[in-house]
Amino acid sequence: MIRREPLVEGNKSLKQVTDDICALVERPPGKSWMACFASAKILFLFYLSVMGMIVATGMGLMGVNSPVGWGTDIITFVFWIGIGHAGTLISAVLFLFRQKWRTSIARTAEAMTVFAVMTAGLFPVLHTGRPWHAYWLLPYPNQRGPLWVNFRSPLLWDVFAVSTYATVSMVFWYIGMVPDLATLRDRAKNKVRKAIYGALSLGWRGTAKQWNHFEMVYMLLAGLATPLVLSVHSIVSFDFAVANLPGWHTTIFPPYFVAGAIFSGFGMVVTLMVILREVMPVFKDYITMNHMENMNKIIMTTGMLVGYAYASEFFIAWYSGSKYEQYVFINRAFGPYWWSYWIMVTCNVVIPQVFWFKRFRRSIPVMFVVSIFVNIGMWFERFVITVTSLHRDFLPSSWGMFNLTFYDLGAIFGSFGMFFFLFLLYTRVLPAVSIAEVKPVLGVGKEGDHHG
Amino acid sequence: MGNENMNEQDQNRPQYWQDLEEWRQSDEFKEMVDKEFQSSPFAPEDSQSGFARRDFLKLMGASMAMTSAGCLRRPEQRIVPYANRPPEILPGRANYYSSSLVEGGEAFGLVVKTREGRPIKLEGNPDHPFNEGSLSARGNAYILALYDPDRLTGPKQNLLNKEKSNRDTVSSTFEEIDKAFKQSTAAGKLGLVTRSIMSPSTRELISEFVRVTGAKHYVIDDLDYSVVREGQKKSYGQEVLPRYRLDKAQYVLTIDTDLLGSYLTPVEHKKMFSKTRNPEGDMSKLVSFESLYSMTGSNADERFRIRPSEQIKVVVGIISELINKGRVSDSAARDLVNRFKNSFKGFQPFEAGLLGRVADELWANRGKSVVAVGGLPTQTGLGLDLQVATNYLNSILGNDGKTIDYERSAHNSYAGTNDIERFVSDVEAGRIESVLIHGVNPAYSQPNDSGLVKAIKSLKLAAYTGAYNDETGQICRYLVPDHNQLENWGDVDGQTGTIGILQPTIRPLYKTRAFQDTLLTWVQTSGRASGLLKADSYYDYLRSYWRRKVQPAVGGGKSFEDFWYEVLQTGVVRTSEGRRRDSVSSSRSFRSSSLNTIIPQPSSEMELVLYPSVALGDGSLANIPWLQELPDPVSKIVWDNYISISPAYAHEKGIHEGDVLDAKVGEKTIALPAHIQPGMHDAVAAIAIGYGRMGGGKVAEGIGKRSIHLASYFEGQLQTSGLSVELKKTKKNIPLASPQGHHRMEGRQIVVQATQDQYKKDPAANIHKHKVFSLWGKHEYKGHRWALGVDLNACNGCGDCVVACQSENNVPTVGKKYVMEGRIMHWIRIDRYYSGDPSNPAIVNMPVMCQHCENAPCETVCPVNATVHGDEGTNDMIYNRCVGTRYCANNCPYKVRRFNWFNYVKQVKEPQHLAMNPEVTVRARGVMEKCTFCNHRVKEAKMKAKTENRPLAEGDVQAACAASCGAGALIFGDINDPNSKVSQHFNKQNGYSLLEELNAVPMVKYTTKIRNTSELKLDDNGHGGGH
Repeated sequence: MIRREPLVEGNKSLKQVTDDICALVERPPGKSWMACFASAKILFLFYLSVMGMIVATGMGLMGVNSPVGWGTDIITFVFWIGIGHAGTLISAVLFLFRQKWRTSIARTAEAMTVFAVMTAGLFPVLHTGRPWHAYWLLPYPNQRGPLWVNFRSPLLWDVFAVSTYATVSMVFWYIGMVPDLATLRDRAKNKVRKAIYGALSLGWRGTAKQWNHFEMVYMLLAGLATPLVLSVHSIVSFDFAVANLPGWHTTIFPPYFVAGAIFSGFGMVVTLMVILREVMPVFKDYITMNHMENMNKIIMTTGMLVGYAYASEFFIAWYSGSKYEQYVFINRAFGPYWWSYWIMVTCNVVIPQVFWFKRFRRSIPVMFVVSIFVNIGMWFERFVITVTSLHRDFLPSSWGMFNLTFYDLGAIFGSFGMFFFLFLLYTRVLPAVSIAEVKPVLGVGKEGDHHG
Repeated sequence: MGNENMNEQDQNRPQYWQDLEEWRQSDEFKEMVDKEFQSSPFAPEDSQSGFARRDFLKLMGASMAMTSAGCLRRPEQRIVPYANRPPEILPGRANYYSSSLVEGGEAFGLVVKTREGRPIKLEGNPDHPFNEGSLSARGNAYILALYDPDRLTGPKQNLLNKEKSNRDTVSSTFEEIDKAFKQSTAAGKLGLVTRSIMSPSTRELISEFVRVTGAKHYVIDDLDYSVVREGQKKSYGQEVLPRYRLDKAQYVLTIDTDLLGSYLTPVEHKKMFSKTRNPEGDMSKLVSFESLYSMTGSNADERFRIRPSEQIKVVVGIISELINKGRVSDSAARDLVNRFKNSFKGFQPFEAGLLGRVADELWANRGKSVVAVGGLPTQTGLGLDLQVATNYLNSILGNDGKTIDYERSAHNSYAGTNDIERFVSDVEAGRIESVLIHGVNPAYSQPNDSGLVKAIKSLKLAAYTGAYNDETGQICRYLVPDHNQLENWGDVDGQTGTIGILQPTIRPLYKTRAFQDTLLTWVQTSGRASGLLKADSYYDYLRSYWRRKVQPAVGGGKSFEDFWYEVLQTGVVRTSEGRRRDSVSSSRSFRSSSLNTIIPQPSSEMELVLYPSVALGDGSLANIPWLQELPDPVSKIVWDNYISISPAYAHEKGIHEGDVLDAKVGEKTIALPAHIQPGMHDAVAAIAIGYGRMGGGKVAEGIGKRSIHLASYFEGQLQTSGLSVELKKTKKNIPLASPQGHHRMEGRQIVVQATQDQYKKDPAANIHKHKVFSLWGKHEYKGHRWALGVDLNACNGCGDCVVACQSENNVPTVGKKYVMEGRIMHWIRIDRYYSGDPSNPAIVNMPVMCQHCENAPCETVCPVNATVHGDEGTNDMIYNRCVGTRYCANNCPYKVRRFNWFNYVKQVKEPQHLAMNPEVTVRARGVMEKCTFCNHRVKEAKMKAKTENRPLAEGDVQAACAASCGAGALIFGDINDPNSKVSQHFNKQNGYSLLEELNAVPMVKYTTKIRNTSELKLDDNGHGGGH
């Protein structure tokens, strides 16, 4: 019998697990965390001021124009929404498939989902010409007739898809945290902490009945979240696929977008986990090299899936016989934005191929660099789709160019400030690894280990 | 006495009392009251506080009143009850007044639309024979000249420093200026410098003024056509401007002459030319020989490239071909051709035998052809010779007196610039001491070596009636701003016998005085006024003039008041001469001796051409942002002038678009960015005049460079073309702004072209029809259904419609920076594509506006239903509902939707806001906008028809673009009416929809561009240059 690799290293006892994970919340933060948090916060404040300027002055500050009506905001929106997908996949889909290795990374992956969706959610609002009227996209009873939204518009489907996704992800994440919050409450020595964690743990006492209910709810929510992994990015892709623009009007978009989303999501999870392992070394026992290797395998697989999509787009453009379609794809690869296309292909298809080698799959520096490239590549994928299709469409007279302005760059980089601000805060106030779920898998890999 | 005492006591008694004690006012009662109240109402002074309660309150009240009065001064505002509304003005309803407008060399009949007493839109007067309802871009934009925030607001005195070069002014008064002129000018030593005056009453006034005061009158025009006049004089003995009857011509040959864009009267030319372009009948042919690519060249059926110095060789070459073929046997002509024999060596820029073919075609169209030369690009050193030779050609072809009329020029009072010399010599000789300059800006428009500026500076006193402290204003001591034309009375007779009236449609916005009133005041204070000159104001003078001179000529036997009323109503009258407007004068005999002085001259290596741009012309309206942002019909560049060079030259010298070139003409230089213009001759550089204004307003200032200073005088004539120039590339690059991103059709079906032969065989020639089908049935439109037909064959790409739309729909301008960023706001644009070889491509134009698609792609994608389909077939935009996702713009295949990137209303400066059309919403920041098919006009017309209890008829409503188009390229109407013009247009066999295969089903239909040529210049379907 092949021995299974242990899911948690360091030969931990149950108490050690609790101590390890709760300590992060209970101890004052270390220097490296403080440094990260300070820079994230500064970036976040910068982001807020950039957004404030855009809202106060107008969309004209950004690079968007006619014909490129969608730019940085939509690109970065799709980017962040995509990031979220890995979290849901790990926490819900792998849960349903009883993949035990997911337990130690599920919480953080799920947290990443929630923060990524929050970061993403701001972009469509910021992107509108009149953000103060953005609530008109919601179908609510009103006194304007009543005037309803246009249910034929993919943007509206997007509103539903993203808001559902945000809600379900948050509930799923929170419900899964309840037993751990109760642990924190029980260990709390100060009244305020006790009160806060007490309220958050919803009166969890750990009775058998509660566990029974909890597991049932958790499974149901996992079931609910699973289709969202597929639906959200499918619907986001409809924003493009339903339009009649060459380069957008493509049936391959839903699966292509989902694959891309999972790809980029795992890229981001790897980035975050590497950072987490470095900033909080205790996590090295829980987020083991095996975890990282598994995720790298997924990155390579989905990377090849998007590569296939890129190729099939070209094939279909040629096969369709549509002049406009053909021109758009030739223009993508060889037009004025050729560099963005080749950055995308290099980052998403070529670079992940290093994971064919176990040595690289298990090398922290290599996977960190690759995951950063994956993030860059996936941002450029959305750039390529959005900008290169729009900038040269049907009538050559209206062709134009899109240039990033200071405000575009502010929005792109600032959004990372917001994300990391929230994420770092999370590692300090909530249990970053699921205590309740890790404990049952402590024994994995220990069977037959007589010394253990 | 007792009674009296009683009475005295009674007076002290209270009027109202509660009990008898109080009535008696006994001491006990008073004591009791004192005790009862803490401070007695009787006590004059409260013993404790030092203030009585009432005194305190009084003081308090007074101080409150004082402080509030001190802080808050109520503005004096008077409201007027509606019962006393001014007559004629009905809030919310527009009034239309007939008027006229003189712009450049053209005199338009106008209908001025006013709302609540302010003009908001200029449109052509359909009853005026000259423009028949159409209006040029500059005419359309003129409304902003009235509301220009940079206009002078009153008389000013320039604080001239020694060099007379600074711009600081202080306020002055008309009285001060009048006095200054009276004191410092000896009798008969006043000079009047004016443009050619197109107003008969003003001409009369000036001549009387000159007669009475002994003043001297000089005529100087900004745009110079003197050479044309002199050529006529030399050839025929008559100093006139010709009128080209393009409507009678079957064959038009232009040599560097922008007949349709800027030469003489483009509006009339465009109108007449389009009449002959019907492919069903005998379609006329336009052939252009050009050095730069002009708008006329872009409409030519065949276009050939020449150097400016070769212009005369083309004409002589054609004459020589005619001689060779035995069609002409004039000894003077033979001599002429012989003199040119040597210079023809090496002159074979085009296919062999071309000139022979052109000569044959001209000969075949004897009496039905026009050979036109004139304008700045023809004023080489041989400009006059070219005129004479061309006149000879027209005479032997029998065109003179058939297609070339010399009596009814559209600018009959034109006098040219020959007076410059006389003025300068008079100043130098001290024959004049002071000058009043009116209607012309010679310090800007004339080359520096004319000596004008120096002469004006040397005078004791100079005054300028311009609207700005501009180039000429800055060298004059006094600025006596004239009224804007829309504020003033006046009359105008561009063509003899067709007299239009100018009515003021608004009271002068500022403290300005009519030039004519200035003259009247001066002549009256001199005490020498008599007769008409005693008129109280120019208005009285004008009426008297019309009573004495015009009414008898027009006749009709009405009382003057009736006559006057009718004139104001119709805006134009015609004397018996004017009624013969469409006849052509008989032919004249050509003086062959005039050919004897024509001798060839060598070409220089690189030749420079100066030309007036189609948008700005002479530059006098350069402060109007609409014109600065109107793309040039050929280069499509806005907000700049530039040096146009050919692609081959640029390639050879390694010059890229926007590279700044130093152009050196003799000792004079100019540094401007290069524009690589396909179709330019390889040895030619061209620069537009009209840019580089100084003090002409904040918009105009700093845009481009003044290029006329490169011109010089050659044998007494202004030379603006064929100047020997050296170009040197510098390291700088100034990017040029163009709203058009790409200039070739990339093999897509966008503008369909066909030759006339192809068309006659198959009207649908070259149109690739797509099989489109839909799963859904069609929507039924029971009432009206609005549609727009675009006749690409008629459209000449001038851009008049663009400015008309901008004025009608409050469309903002964005400036060069934002045009470059792709934020131009035009609701209608003219796409210009090149086809064929980049060295000399053909040009096709296509007006594109919202296509009002039946299956509008924009409508389905808007998440908030802000763009929906109207029940009359239009695609409507609901600004209030728009959130600004811009999804509609992305999904629009025609890219006609415009987004408000910023709050553009903020940039509207007082009093520009008065030019806004209140019928059209001013769009807020963050909303999408686009062409509405002028649905506010539709609504207005429908309401009018309803109150008149009749159905809406064809012609009741016109979109603003269609109304301004003189060529009839835009046809707006109800497609549900089978007899409407637009229905007929939609049924044409050569009609097609743009991007038909998308099945958006546009309500705009284009018809093929037909060319009268044997072979089309088409793209080899490749990605050839020309970005």
